Amino acid sequence: MKKNISRAILHPTLWVFVFFAVFPFIFPLVGGYTYLAAEVLIWSIYTMGFNILLGYTGLPSFGHGAFFGIGGFVLGNILLRVIDQIWVGILAGTFAGAFFGAIVGLFVAKKRGIYFALLTIAFGQMFWFVAWSWRSVTGGEDGLPGIDRLPVGIPGLFSVDTSNILSFYYFIYFIFVIAVILIWIVVHSPFGKVIQAIRYNEIRVKCIGYNTALYKWTSFVISASFAGLAGTLYALLRYAVFSDVMHWSQSGNVLLIVVLGGGMVNFFGPIVGTMVFLILRDLFSTVTEHWYLIYGLMIMAIVVFIPEGILGFLEKDRGIAMFPKYVINWVRGRKWKS
Amino acid sequence: MPTFIEFITQLLNGVVVGLLYAIIALGFMIITGVMGVLNFSHGSLFAWGAYLALTLYPIVGFWPALVISPILVGFIGIILELSVRKTYGKDPLYGLLLTFGAAMALEEIIRMIWGSIGRSIPAPDVVRGPIMIGLIGYSKYRLFLAGLAVLLIILTWVLLEKTYYGAIIKAGAADSEMVMALGINLNRLRAFVFALGASFAGIAGIIAAPLWSIKPTMGVEAIMPAFVVVVIGGMGSFWGTVIGGLMVGIVTAVTVMFMPRASLIVMYILMALVLVIRPRGLMGEKSILEK
Repeated sequence: MKKNISRAILHPTLWVFVFFAVFPFIFPLVGGYTYLAAEVLIWSIYTMGFNILLGYTGLPSFGHGAFFGIGGFVLGNILLRVIDQIWVGILAGTFAGAFFGAIVGLFVAKKRGIYFALLTIAFGQMFWFVAWSWRSVTGGEDGLPGIDRLPVGIPGLFSVDTSNILSFYYFIYFIFVIAVILIWIVVHSPFGKVIQAIRYNEIRVKCIGYNTALYKWTSFVISASFAGLAGTLYALLRYAVFSDVMHWSQSGNVLLIVVLGGGMVNFFGPIVGTMVFLILRDLFSTVTEHWYLIYGLMIMAIVVFIPEGILGFLEKDRGIAMFPKYVINWVRGRKWKS
Repeated sequence: MPTFIEFITQLLNGVVVGLLYAIIALGFMIITGVMGVLNFSHGSLFAWGAYLALTLYPIVGFWPALVISPILVGFIGIILELSVRKTYGKDPLYGLLLTFGAAMALEEIIRMIWGSIGRSIPAPDVVRGPIMIGLIGYSKYRLFLAGLAVLLIILTWVLLEKTYYGAIIKAGAADSEMVMALGINLNRLRAFVFALGASFAGIAGIIAAPLWSIKPTMGVEAIMPAFVVVVIGGMGSFWGTVIGGLMVGIVTAVTVMFMPRASLIVMYILMALVLVIRPRGLMGEKSILEK
């Protein structure tokens, strides 16, 4: 019993939740602001979900921006045209992400590697073009502005005003916690074991008797629904939806974030990657207008020098990076395994 | 409804643009085949070809620019190949990301040197203006473009199918380890192939320049049709790529006449249809890239 409690307290996800609970108060001390903190949370949901597909199943999708954007547009249209309930919009956006993910998944689930990447880019671009030219629904180039952050809660019991950025942060935080717990459960379930096995050797998994295409398809749908969910929150954060988030270069950013943080080797890699990426982008884009040059060269440098990502780099036994590991080992009193 | 003559003209336009797509896609496919890398920067190399021609045009004229600019782009390709080298033998994801970064950097360098404003270069005097074919007046430059594209396609086919080097390139795509074991310098082969593919993108960029406006985003706009063409034709298939290019060009051109708004989306619909019927593309075979 005591052991169970101590394991729950030392559970790494809990540390992450504690960190993000105080994040908006620490962040301004080092020059950040709450809006950026909220953006970090939203993109973390997006990249954590994406990592089920990339890090665990081993499928590099370049088209998830489409589901992110679809989530936003569905929420926008529901709030502006159908019903002014944020929950309805968020749920509908998430389902829309899952639905379109399921359709695209039918085409791509049997592929892998480069061919998979190529197909997801093409399908992602198709959705982008549709969003870009379907003016009556998506507003085309101008996007869909005027989305309101209405109070949320249970009618008659309580309600939270989300128009304030700090309270909106904690609204996202609530969803973030649920999302991370769900993703943790998914990747540590038997299903999670099978998709990891597919990543290492799909043919062998197939020979054991698993329908690998079905597993890959499911993994695709799960990650697409998290992309849809994050898209709805991003729309609320920006008070608007634009089709630029659906472009393949944006989908490529998600891939980069996961690799940068070390999502290929560590569950929390995407969160670290998101923080580093968004903060760097914020810093550099104020300094130089040619941020994309730095960014492009940075990607190349990461791939060449630290392909295992930040957490992967720290996990290797290297000098000072070992220190936190010693502390954790000491606290846990047993050999630390991630 | 468009008249018969308009229809024929537009159909010809489709064939011409389709041949151009085929050239871009062929260069892309040659690189992908041998490297096992989706070269995202292919579109940027295409844009570099056009921009280098923009600078060279006033100095040396169109025809020398048509030769010099692809060679320079080929050198950029070799530099890229040197940086991609680190990712051989790893998850293809890293090669993808590396060229993705290179694409961004190359496009931003274009913005820094030439600015973001759209430019254009005129067609050379010899092939300017219309020519009469029967009842239809057609642009001489487009015909010239089509001829050049066909010539390039034939030359590539001869190189790949009828020469010693072509045999090595194809063998390298199928089993690079075996090629190395036979005593062939694989590094040099890869650099050569990357340079060849890059200069293909460069040539396409220059001949497309008088047709489309030159702008920094032209690379991104050109690479999408190339991806789609390769998927439709089937990865690794030479004639599949050519046919795919023509199909995309013609279908897009015909759609422009009847439903202009759908013209950008129609190639993706075509792709989805082809994939439903033939999951590996029209003439695709099982290849190492699916591993």
